[in-house]
Amino acid sequence: MHPVEIQDLYKNFGSVEAVRGLSFSIDAGRVTGFLGPNGAGKSTTIRALLGLVNPTSGTALFGERRYDQVERPSSHIGVVLEDAGFHPGRTARNHLRVLAATGEHPPERVDEVLATVGLTEAADRHVKGYSMGMRQRLGIASALLGDPEVLILDEPTNGLDPPGIAWMRGLLRHQADAGRAVLVSSHLLAEVAQSVDDVVVIADGELRGAGTLGEVLGGDDGPVAAVAARDLGALAAALEQHGHDVVREDDRLLVPGSTPEQVGLVAAEEQLALTGLGTRSRSLEAAFLALTGDAQ
Amino acid sequence: MTALLRAELLKLRTTRTFVTLVGVAVGLSLLLVVLGAALANDLTEKDVRELLMFDFSGLFILLLGVIGMAGEFRHRTITTSILAAPDRIRLLGAKVLSYALAGALLALIVSVAIAAVGTAVLSIRGEVTIGVSEMADVLWRNLVVAALFGALGVCVGGLVRNQVVAIVGLLFLSFVLEPTLLALASEVGKFGPTVGAPNGVIVINPGDDSESLLAPGIALLVMIGWVGLGYAVTALVLRRRDLV
Repeated sequence: MHPVEIQDLYKNFGSVEAVRGLSFSIDAGRVTGFLGPNGAGKSTTIRALLGLVNPTSGTALFGERRYDQVERPSSHIGVVLEDAGFHPGRTARNHLRVLAATGEHPPERVDEVLATVGLTEAADRHVKGYSMGMRQRLGIASALLGDPEVLILDEPTNGLDPPGIAWMRGLLRHQADAGRAVLVSSHLLAEVAQSVDDVVVIADGELRGAGTLGEVLGGDDGPVAAVAARDLGALAAALEQHGHDVVREDDRLLVPGSTPEQVGLVAAEEQLALTGLGTRSRSLEAAFLALTGDAQ
Repeated sequence: MTALLRAELLKLRTTRTFVTLVGVAVGLSLLLVVLGAALANDLTEKDVRELLMFDFSGLFILLLGVIGMAGEFRHRTITTSILAAPDRIRLLGAKVLSYALAGALLALIVSVAIAAVGTAVLSIRGEVTIGVSEMADVLWRNLVVAALFGALGVCVGGLVRNQVVAIVGLLFLSFVLEPTLLALASEVGKFGPTVGAPNGVIVINPGDDSESLLAPGIALLVMIGWVGLGYAVTALVLRRRDLV
């Protein structure tokens, strides 16, 4: 049983299909990046998971329960939403006191989470005077209040400056290392790539890839040999015979996980003439764009 | 439910809106009562009872209920509230209850203040005053009406969601629509939620106005009915609404 499991989720808003048959799960002790361009359906999926929007069909569960079936949800699930609101006339401390009262958390947790996110000094200021970064930190503090096993964060780096983004990365890593399941959505791969273990890539409301970062985006798969030959078909057959994976790309072949030297040796052995040989290092960004390309 | 209620009461206490409205309601009510007590002559006991009913707590708690609930949408805190308490019906129930309690508290503060100050001014001037039991009669009516107004305000705020539209709409209903209806067709107007039925609860010994007022018990039931209807409709809408 996964901490979060989404099965065949659909959500329509009128004639707009925001999420189309999405299925994926996340695991404890890992940070899962939920990636996709703006409008891909990430926020809708997260809101369906949290019971804020009603799915058209399919299920979005925490273990075996919907969010609204989880007793004292803030003790199990911490949430930071992209547009989470705060009453401008309430202080951060009072905002957390209200949440602590609702979730029946001990009052001392308020000071603990304020310290965790570095807001102790500003705790008694009204939220209307907070910067975007401070609001994000307050959102994180709210999510951590119940010391939950699952953290769901929707675009948490939006509006953060580089030190803030670095802080957020460290926090996510720390939470996962402590055994929590962390799902973090972002439309910017670069902001989360350094801290995620797994990724779920969606575009146009559909799943485009799910697995470890390396599996889905290939960033850690090493070099990709790129080779051109007079007889591409013969070269492809020869490479496959020697146990290489081959992908045809326009007028050349890509051989993931192989060096040019390995490809050259096969060509020499089979006496096939090459017209070009090199490497194509496949960047994460390029792989991400390839997966989500038609939705960009 | 206790935790939810505690949280909602904490929300009320941790912004300036409630304190400000209490101050304004007490100030305005006191001003009118002091003026009435200082300037009027040869008052009867009925006049004094009417004077001590210049209690604006009902109107203010009605507006506070609207502001509190519609404000959850305005400040987008409704998602946070629902994430903390996913049972939307219970969340609405806790909010309704908390504003009903706040209404009763506000009415208690205002009623006691105007009774004390009004009686003091009247005594100094040698005018007639009313006894404690009659004051208690005025007090419970004000408390009940203010409590129901608090609950009704939350329902209206949850249904309309836009604070300005909800407040303007309620003021139009209270100061234009219902008084007009009472004047033109009192047999219908006396069932109104913000003037007709509340007057039936508040007015003691209506005299010549008895035709245009419901009996207190009936008026109370009608008010409870309005709140129940408001709660049911708002709960239905809130439960089905996608929060995007």
